[in-house]
Amino acid sequence: MRPRFEVMTGALLLLAVLVGCGAESQPLESPKKVYRHVLDGAPASLDPAQANSTYARLLVPAIFDTLYRYKYLARPYELTPGLALDFPVVSGDGLTYEIELDPRARFSDSPVFEGGRGRAVTARDVAWSIARHFDPATRSGASWLWRDRIIGLERIVNAESGTPMPPDSFDIDGLEVVDANTLRIHLRKPFPTLLHTLATAQSAVVPYEAVLAFGPEFGVRPVGSGPFRLIEFDETRALLVKNENFDRGVVDLAAEGFDPAQHAEFGVQAIDGKSYPFIDRLEVQFIAQAGARWNSFRSRQGADIVMLPPELAGQVLSKLQPLTFNQETVADYHALATPEAGFVYYGINLANQAIGNHPEPERQVKNRELRCALGQSLNWQARADQFYHGIGEHFPGVIPPMLPSWDPALQPQSFDPERAKARWQAAGWTLDSLPHLIYGHQAGVQQGQHFEMLRANLIAAGYPPERIQQRVYPTFADLLRGINAGEVDVFLMGWTMAYPDAQYNLQLFYGPNAAPGVNSSRYQNARFDRTFEHALGLPDQAERVALYRALNQQIVDDCVIMGSMVRTRIHLWKRHVRMVPDREIVGGFFLPFVDVDLSAQQ
Amino acid sequence: MKARHPFLGLVARRLLGALPLILGVTFLTFLLVTYFAPDPIWELAGRNPTAAELTELQSQIEQSQSWPARYFNYLMALSRFDLGHSLISGESVSGMLGRSVPVTLALMLPGLFIGGLIALCAGYLAARTEGQALDRLISSLSALGMSVSLVIFVMLCQLVFSVWLGWFPARGWSTESLYDWLLHVSVPTLIVVLANLGYNVRFFRSMWLEAITQPAVRSARAFGLPEWRILTYRLLPWACGPILTRLCFSVPMLLLSGSLVIESYFGIPGVGRVFYNAILSGDQPVILGVVIVASVVLILALTLVESLAQWVDPRQQRQ
Repeated sequence: MRPRFEVMTGALLLLAVLVGCGAESQPLESPKKVYRHVLDGAPASLDPAQANSTYARLLVPAIFDTLYRYKYLARPYELTPGLALDFPVVSGDGLTYEIELDPRARFSDSPVFEGGRGRAVTARDVAWSIARHFDPATRSGASWLWRDRIIGLERIVNAESGTPMPPDSFDIDGLEVVDANTLRIHLRKPFPTLLHTLATAQSAVVPYEAVLAFGPEFGVRPVGSGPFRLIEFDETRALLVKNENFDRGVVDLAAEGFDPAQHAEFGVQAIDGKSYPFIDRLEVQFIAQAGARWNSFRSRQGADIVMLPPELAGQVLSKLQPLTFNQETVADYHALATPEAGFVYYGINLANQAIGNHPEPERQVKNRELRCALGQSLNWQARADQFYHGIGEHFPGVIPPMLPSWDPALQPQSFDPERAKARWQAAGWTLDSLPHLIYGHQAGVQQGQHFEMLRANLIAAGYPPERIQQRVYPTFADLLRGINAGEVDVFLMGWTMAYPDAQYNLQLFYGPNAAPGVNSSRYQNARFDRTFEHALGLPDQAERVALYRALNQQIVDDCVIMGSMVRTRIHLWKRHVRMVPDREIVGGFFLPFVDVDLSAQQ
Repeated sequence: MKARHPFLGLVARRLLGALPLILGVTFLTFLLVTYFAPDPIWELAGRNPTAAELTELQSQIEQSQSWPARYFNYLMALSRFDLGHSLISGESVSGMLGRSVPVTLALMLPGLFIGGLIALCAGYLAARTEGQALDRLISSLSALGMSVSLVIFVMLCQLVFSVWLGWFPARGWSTESLYDWLLHVSVPTLIVVLANLGYNVRFFRSMWLEAITQPAVRSARAFGLPEWRILTYRLLPWACGPILTRLCFSVPMLLLSGSLVIESYFGIPGVGRVFYNAILSGDQPVILGVVIVASVVLILALTLVESLAQWVDPRQQRQ
């Protein structure tokens, strides 16, 4: 018995020594300033050509450069040069944009470059990065941003499908490389929102060498010229370190839109006049489970920020109107509530003649009246209370209050099931003639609850319950397929803007974008399309705003959708982190400005 | 050959016999994935695709080819040990498995073995005291353990050890040093032990009950042999078969599903997450890769179990 006891004791001592050694070595390797961000989902790929999700749009600008970006603090959102040295010189007819690049820009060090040292970013890189979206080998999900806009892109046919198009073999009329630092973009027709598209994550500049070297794995081994360099990426986190080759001078906080009244409490003034990025290491955790996100945030070494899940709002809010955080929260954390850059709405399949477009004018009107009545029967406040911690904002159409073209005169329909019932009855509908409606949704508890609430609202407006059915799809991709195949009549959609211009939302109803494009409702209106195209070419001024409002009014009058609602994002972050987070339009562009107060952290 | 290396011969025959099984697995999996998995086109297409772009994508991922041609191409690639690339991220499937399978094993095996050991002991105690207070207590606790969801164990342990006490990280994974590994594996191991204990105790209790009623055990008791000798020389050799079978069957199951909840809540980059994401996005090469690797591991485990069982208990070989 005694020898066995001694062996056991020896083993335990050895374990303790090993554990102790590990504990000793840990702090020595830790970098100084670490910021741990958290996202509620993971990007599958970090290739800008596949940066279609909110999650990719946060990470891609941290690794890559875009010609333009959004100012860190200015609201409404404002563009500012990123990789570009200044705003472009635009020709009088609005068809040519000459852009000069910042000569300091260099790609991060990587074995793909000669000698492993990152080379300078050139105008050819920028041109190639845009052109590759039209190369089938890229499998880009973003070519629509420039389709039919930049001259010559549609001619790209890569003979060797599967391998990237060589940078020196393409000659696109619309992407003229003037010299190493100057690019001239020639447009087919005026497109003032071009600069917004050049601030999207999808427009980020990639080096040809890396795309060629890594092939399909470029999405998990990205190389860019942004403020950070990726060193680890999997399903649970992305680990980035400061890109030592990144040099864009110092932060001009006033130029970034600093307002002491709004931002001073977050300590961001400390970064003014200093070169950025400030953190040595950026860890982005992907946590889908709300409870796990919250636990990670509240643990000592966990996430530094959390976007509050709706079910936990009660723990941090003391009042909803006006939104007020409770004392414990304010004492422990920084807190900020901002509207999302997007909205949710119920789409209707207008290709279904039973409720949508119909060749007979009388039936067309009758269908429209039914759709309007259905819209009137929806209780948006109940949705906000149930799903969005009671602080969503209902608005009509698709231009939310955060956009300059929002029309304050356009008021949302009030919830009134009795009037809704009277409306469909007045249009000539009877209980027997009302069409069967199939509501499609992704599998999930909350998605099922959305259906139940919709059905309850419609029943309250006199709709026969047996004529409202649900069809459940296992994944969102499957739901999209079902919508585009016309399998469902009503569906709940969320739409996130990539840039702050109403054009981005109104394109949801542009005829040529009909399914499989973003016009999932298959709305077809020649007048709407003409006005939309005309507005696209107008500079950012009153006439364009007026046209946007008219287009929005058209959507509301035709009852194309039932909507809409802007949700409120509540961010909490630890007090030692100096920043103003934004996962909306600014997205990943805020990360280079994040700073960590080490003394406060300790 | 047979006479000189009977063990190796047995293993070789078993592995050869497994080839049709693996082929069958690929056929069924390919069939199911092709016709029932989500269509990856909609994951790849972006926000505003045209019909022409969708057609081009379908052609690129071979959806435009006939099913037999696709299956044949897949088998050809498999014969070169080429599992392909993820349709969604572009990463090579073998690379994904290479980085995630060791993580899952390092995460789950400690809990599996510690939990198994505790359950063996508790099951033995319960069996030895059948019908008495201790047996009733152990059986009640095991029933309680079975009725609590794994997610509850996860949330509770995360809250207690990471948030309230702050002893362990709430999430993450590192094996840079033994200390790092212990730091990150301790709470998940505790959860694996707690979550499986109930099932394991019930299983091992039944196993021990059967074992202690064996004639050989009764004879040993009649001879007055001490309890430890009965356990060592009679019960354990008899029980080795069921124990090894249960343990070996657990490993391939871990690769497919077992660790998903723990990996998700603790942010651990194991194969459960890889597989789950692949299913949701219809990432066919990854689904096929995981299933085939798990099948191969299962077959290897079965071969190992049977061979070990024969080695431990030569009567099985004679049978």
